[in-house]
Amino acid sequence: MKRMIGLFFFSLTIAAELKIGSPMPKTDHILNDISGKNMTLNDAKGELGTLVIFSCNTCPWVIRWEDRYVSIADRYIPKGIGMIAVNSNASRFQGGDSLEEMIQHANEKNYNFPYAQDPGAKLAYAFGATKTPHIYLFDKSDLLVYRGAIDDNARDASSVDEAFLANAIDQLLAGKPIKKVTSKAIGCSIKFP
Amino acid sequence: MIKQFFLLLITIILVLFSCTKVQLIPSTSASIIEEIKKYRGKKVVLLNVWALWCVPCVEEFPMIVDLDKEIKDLEVIFISADFEDQIKEVESFLNDKGVGGKSFLKQEKDEPFIQRIHHSWTGSLPFTIVYAKDSGSIVDFWEGKEPESRFRTAINIAINS
Repeated sequence: MKRMIGLFFFSLTIAAELKIGSPMPKTDHILNDISGKNMTLNDAKGELGTLVIFSCNTCPWVIRWEDRYVSIADRYIPKGIGMIAVNSNASRFQGGDSLEEMIQHANEKNYNFPYAQDPGAKLAYAFGATKTPHIYLFDKSDLLVYRGAIDDNARDASSVDEAFLANAIDQLLAGKPIKKVTSKAIGCSIKFP
Repeated sequence: MIKQFFLLLITIILVLFSCTKVQLIPSTSASIIEEIKKYRGKKVVLLNVWALWCVPCVEEFPMIVDLDKEIKDLEVIFISADFEDQIKEVESFLNDKGVGGKSFLKQEKDEPFIQRIHHSWTGSLPFTIVYAKDSGSIVDFWEGKEPESRFRTAINIAINS
């Protein structure tokens, strides 16, 4: 009986992540891009697939990994992959994740892709995104084909053993089944409103 | 006589200092799970994965330390997920917060560590699990910062299960 009480007690505060094969949600949700223009996920889509990265300005894991944002954009946007970094830290839009700070951060880090605020963190809720960075890759039909981490070494791109995301994009572009469809990594919690 | 007094005083200070200083142990998920098992039938275990740069982790940290000091049936296991080049800062933080004895530093790739600690954990910090005193089964777990009331409720259930 005591064990049953324990089991019934679970009241999880872990969001359900978007399942592999799910359609891209909230594609018409208006985002505030650092360009000063409004955009949606529909605007970010690529001809052969779309990469959505939940990110922010201040997370140390983002800072360690974001050199790879740029190299992935350099490598795959010309091949038909759309890419956007989404900032869902809505409770910090008046602070370190303000649009002004995002513009400065993107300039300093040479972002070569849209970087937009997610008002109300509605995309993060819809995706079940919990942390930064949190990666979602969709195919050309807007179905989720990969979810999780960029690779297995935040600290050092040259010491990566498994480049989860690059492998998934390569397999997607080659029309092959994606071998590893999910992965996990430590990240900063999204600061929901 | 005065010399002997000062020698004794210095010795006492050194002993007290060494008792309170934290021992930070680089650990894998397997060794953490073995550590948790040691307390089955003896104490409730509260496992908390945190990092220096994680603001909500640092915010809730003193409350967890206070619970550890207050509840004799509770063993808190802190695991720092900071990078290995931050060991000095982690030790300094733990000492500053009054964490004595053993504490742990993740020394394993993220994915196997996360999966073995709890398969439902997405990797977001902080992450907390409460294990029952007698059965060792998980009473509750959550990602993110939660109010003290949730910690106390889980611990009270865990003490009696």
